Amino acid sequence: MNNFFNIFKKEIKELLTKQMLLSLAFMVMLFGLMGSFINNAKEQAQDQLLEPTRLAVLNLDNSAYSKEILTKLTKNNIEIVEIKEENIEKAIEESQLKESMSLLVIPKGFEDGIKKFQGSEIEIYSIVKDLGLKESTSFASISSIISYLNQEINKDFIKSAFEEKEPENIINPIKTKEFVVVKDKIAPGNPATLQSLSMANSTIIPILLMLSIMYAGTMIITSMGLEKENKTLETLLTLPVKRESIILGKMAGAIVVALLMAVVYIGGFNYYMSSFTPPIEGGTNLMQTLGLVMTSFDYLLLGISLFLTILVALSICMILGMFSQDIKSAQGMQFPIILLVMIPYFLLTFQSLETMPMGLKIFLYLIPFSHPFIASKVLIFNNYSIVIAGIIYLIIFAALTMYLAIRLFNTDKVLTAKASFGKLKFRKTKNDRS
Amino acid sequence: MSKVIEVKNLVKDYENFRALKGISFEVEEGEIFGLIGPNAAGKTTTLRIIATLIQPTNGEAKVFNYNVVKDPEKVREKISYLPEEAGAYKNLSGKEYLDFIARFYAKDKNEIKEILTRGLELAKLGEKITNKVSTYSKGMTRRLLIARALMAKPKLAILDEPTSGLDVIISREIREIIKNFAQQGTTVLLSSHNMLEVEFLCDRIALIDKGEIKEIGTPEQLKEEYNAKNIEDVFIKAVK
Repeated sequence: MNNFFNIFKKEIKELLTKQMLLSLAFMVMLFGLMGSFINNAKEQAQDQLLEPTRLAVLNLDNSAYSKEILTKLTKNNIEIVEIKEENIEKAIEESQLKESMSLLVIPKGFEDGIKKFQGSEIEIYSIVKDLGLKESTSFASISSIISYLNQEINKDFIKSAFEEKEPENIINPIKTKEFVVVKDKIAPGNPATLQSLSMANSTIIPILLMLSIMYAGTMIITSMGLEKENKTLETLLTLPVKRESIILGKMAGAIVVALLMAVVYIGGFNYYMSSFTPPIEGGTNLMQTLGLVMTSFDYLLLGISLFLTILVALSICMILGMFSQDIKSAQGMQFPIILLVMIPYFLLTFQSLETMPMGLKIFLYLIPFSHPFIASKVLIFNNYSIVIAGIIYLIIFAALTMYLAIRLFNTDKVLTAKASFGKLKFRKTKNDRS
Repeated sequence: MSKVIEVKNLVKDYENFRALKGISFEVEEGEIFGLIGPNAAGKTTTLRIIATLIQPTNGEAKVFNYNVVKDPEKVREKISYLPEEAGAYKNLSGKEYLDFIARFYAKDKNEIKEILTRGLELAKLGEKITNKVSTYSKGMTRRLLIARALMAKPKLAILDEPTSGLDVIISREIREIIKNFAQQGTTVLLSSHNMLEVEFLCDRIALIDKGEIKEIGTPEQLKEEYNAKNIEDVFIKAVK
């Protein structure tokens, strides 16, 4: 046990270099800054929504009706700036001087066109100086102004035709009340809201899983590459310590560093993502009513699945690492692992397991790295059988790959195995011949 | 004196290349035994087999009566191996590295301290012992590694080209250290292609060439037998 901890401690010191800590700190800072910028821009845009929108209007119609319509706008938090210049270019210049980002031109004959049901074309000039979040919010509000005008005109028509009727019931005669059904549970809401609410399950957890597995593999391969590059492996293998302790110590070090990196990364990523998606009111209640909440038992199963997957990744990477000659060649060997982690991540991000063709499903089940991704998707729906079957498969797979890694570590292959031009071979080194 | 190493008909094949062609020799307790030969003679392969790093294709090697293939863990408890191109963990300081190694040999905290103190004395790196290994020169690293190999007072020290690539002063210091340790009871098996070094250090030597041992004896015996002034001449005459 002491030898295990000794190796574990050394691994942490070797892997957690100043450069790595700095890059982690930089990553957190970067996410923090990006999140802050987005939050800041959003706050400014929201503040802008509360302030009256300044709208330049060139009213060429100048009729009582067009004036009445514009008065309605002023009641809707819009500040009308009247433009006198009839030449469009000059009118735009005047709008800019009066700090309006849009110019509305109401044509001559506007009232006639509307009242005779012929329609009328209003010209909108949007003065673009930037394409930031703040500006796009302003331009979007112009569209809503036009929708509002159309709605008001419609209401006027309906009121004049059906005095006693509520115009809203004629414009939108069908009202909806949506419910979401999950198994035997029903709750008011819609699937889109549900999807937003389950962002943690659908986005954050899979990324956390993907990073943990990939980082763990990277760490152990780097560790083996470092041993070979620094020529420390031979010494380590002749010390009075069991090879199993060396492997387990290395694996434990890799897991800790990988999880630390994944948690730091995902913490930053989560903060960044939260800047895009505001909390949904009553969301927690909706998820709870539908039973779509991960329980402690679910997290335990997900944890076991992830742990076993990391063990598989570590064992495979440990074996691949034995074929490396230095860090560069070691890092190149991660490719098959990265590929096998990315396949289930992308497949399960874009397609649900339920709708997948059987062949693809079997392919996914066979990849050991798929199982924590599958668990993260199905545990919320209490689909335990598939998760437990995955865990059993992972136990067998992890036992086999660990056994193979230990067996290889106990032979001279650990020193003599080398990768050459992408092919794995057992070759003799210059030293082996002397 | 009891036998520390017994090697019988040792053969090692790499794919189609036979690195050792059935070598045999014995090393007595307290001896400094040298394997001498040119590059690719089979010296490192022999040392690696005895150090339990690689397995022989045929034959047998025993260390303190433990078979290196059947009881590698027992063998590792008795030995300390210094490879020719060894390095230390670059992200650790010299002291941290010695402490890391000391913990494998010590049974308790006092013993860790004792081994570490000996390691620090042997390394003679002064204040630089707390610097990262990545900042060390080749000579400093080799001194650290010699200290690492000897600080636990192993029963058998296996040293592959202990002074390879080092300047005269550091080489001499290292030879003195090895000699002192042998006098304190550590048996030493070393390889070298520096004939002068071997003559100075070794009680007995084996001349090895192309995977075969040509001669075994004390430097004096061999010089007399071949009527040679030095071991270099002995070697040239022996391999002709």
